[in-house]
Amino acid sequence: MRTVRGVLGAAGLALLGCGCWLLFAETRHGTVGPVLLWLAGSVAAHDFLLVPVVLLAGLALRRLPARTVWRGGLIVAGSLTVLAVPMMLWQGSPANPTVLPLDYRVNWLLTLAGTAAATLLVLLLRTAVRGVRAGRRHRNGRP
Amino acid sequence: MDGTGEHAENAGRQPGGGEGALVTFRAGLHDPRTATAVGRLLGAAMLLCFLTGLVSHVLQQPPGRLAGSLPVRPVWFYRLTQGVHVASGIAAIPLLLVKLWTVYPRLFVSPPIRGLRHGVERASIAVLVSATLLQLTMGLLNILQWYPWPFSFRQVHFALAWVLTGSLLLHLAVKSPLIAAHWRRRGPGTLRLPEDEAADRRALLWSVGAAVGAVTVVSAGQTVTPLRSLTVLAPRQVDHGPQALPVTKTAAEAKVSERALRGWQLQVAGPRPYALTLEQLRRLPQHHAELPIACVEGWSKMARWSGVRLRELLERAEVPEHASLRVVSLQLGGAYRVMEMEPQYARDPLTLLALDLNGEALDLDHGRPARIIAPGRPGVLQTKWVHRIEVL
Repeated sequence: MRTVRGVLGAAGLALLGCGCWLLFAETRHGTVGPVLLWLAGSVAAHDFLLVPVVLLAGLALRRLPARTVWRGGLIVAGSLTVLAVPMMLWQGSPANPTVLPLDYRVNWLLTLAGTAAATLLVLLLRTAVRGVRAGRRHRNGRP
Repeated sequence: MDGTGEHAENAGRQPGGGEGALVTFRAGLHDPRTATAVGRLLGAAMLLCFLTGLVSHVLQQPPGRLAGSLPVRPVWFYRLTQGVHVASGIAAIPLLLVKLWTVYPRLFVSPPIRGLRHGVERASIAVLVSATLLQLTMGLLNILQWYPWPFSFRQVHFALAWVLTGSLLLHLAVKSPLIAAHWRRRGPGTLRLPEDEAADRRALLWSVGAAVGAVTVVSAGQTVTPLRSLTVLAPRQVDHGPQALPVTKTAAEAKVSERALRGWQLQVAGPRPYALTLEQLRRLPQHHAELPIACVEGWSKMARWSGVRLRELLERAEVPEHASLRVVSLQLGGAYRVMEMEPQYARDPLTLLALDLNGEALDLDHGRPARIIAPGRPGVLQTKWVHRIEVL
C-alpha cells in the first residue's frame, strides 16, 4: 500500500508540475490571471448556483414515497439539462449553419418528457413487482 | 487507523459538517463507499479522456521525433480516439456532479482550515475540483464553437489536463487506504456502514448509470453512426451540411472568396516544380477513397472522395521518397493555414488531393477546388483550398 501511495503521489506531483509549467510558461502572455479567475468562477458557479438547487430538490423529495425513483428521474433530467443549457443559449449565434443546427429548446423538452415517462414506467414496474412479492409472501406465510 | 487523522472518515460517514457546521446533512450516502463507487467511474472517464486527449494533441502537433511513426491505419484511428474523448468528457459531467454531491458535507466543514496539513489538503482538493469543473466546461463549450473566455482554448485545455490528472493522482494517493477499505461491497469499511443504506446506494448508482447513458445516447450520434437518429442534444447533425457533410470552418470564416479562386492553380514545388489548373488536374488519373472526416470537436463521418493521388503529384515533381511536405492553403490566417505532412501520409495510396466529394465537385465550404484527405488524421490537417505543396 505504501509503495502504491508513493508512486501515485510522485506521479501526481510530476504531472501537476508539468501542468503548472505549461500554464505559466507555455501560454500566451496574460493567460494566467484570467485562467485563475475562471477556475474560481467555476467553483463559485457550482457551489453557489448548483449546490443550493440540489439541496432544495433533496428537501422536496424527502417525504415522497418511492423517493429513490424520483431522485433517479431528477438526476437524469438534471444531467440532460446541464448538457442542453449551453446549446440552448448559444444556438443561432454561430456563423456556420452546420454548428447547432437544431432547435435545442424543443429537443431538451423532449428529453425531459422521455425521462418523465421512463421514471413513471420504473415506478409502475416497482409497484407491480412489490405487489407480486407481497402476494407470494402472504401465501407462503399461511401454514 | 489510516493515519490521515480524519476521524469523521473512519467513522464511515460525514455526520454533517463537524462541530459548529453551517448545515447538517441528515441524508445518508455522503459516505466513502458511495464516494468510491462513483469516484472510480469518474476516474475511469477522466483517465480515458486524458489519454485520448494526449493522442489528439500529438496528432495535431506531432513532436519532432514521433512524427514519422504516426499511424496511417486504421483510417478511422482519429475518429475513434476523438469520439471517445468527447464522449467520455460528456459522460464525466453527471459523474462529477454526483461525486461532488457525495462530498458536499466537506464543503461546510468549520473551521475552514485547521492547520497547515489540513490547509494543504484542502488546497489540493480546490485545485482538483476547479480544474475538473473548468476543463469539462471548456470542453463542452468548445464543441459548440463558443469561446467566452479571453485565453487560448488549446493552450489552456492542454495545460489543465495535466494539472487535473496530476491532482487526481495526488487525491488517489491521499485517499488510498480509504478507497481500499470501501472498494468491495464486503470490504472492511463498507461493512461498517449502516445496512439499510445499501439499497439506497444501489438505487443511486443505477440513477448515475442512467444519467451517463442518457447524456451519451443523445449526443454520441454525432460520431457513432447507429445512434445518428437519436442525436437530439449534440452540436452537429452529421447529415446536415453541404454535400451531406458538416463544416467546421466555412469559407467565409476562413476569408476565402470566389474571387480569390479565379485563376487558381495548384503549385507543386520540388526538383521539377510545376503548376496545374483544375481542368488539367481532372485529366489526370482519378482515384477514389472512402475516408472519414473526424473533427477535434468530436463529430465524424465517412465520405467518398475522389481526386488525384498525392503520391503521383509528388512523383511528377520528383520529390524525394522520404521528404516531408508543407501544404499551404488559400485561407488567410488561422493556425492551420500551413500544414505539415510526414512521408507515411504523403505516400499512402489512399491520400488524395480531392476534387470531388460524395459524387459532386467539392463545395466551396468543403475546400473547393481541392483539399487534402489522408487516412487517420484530424480534420484540421485535411487542408482545404490547397494552393501550394512544398518540400520541407
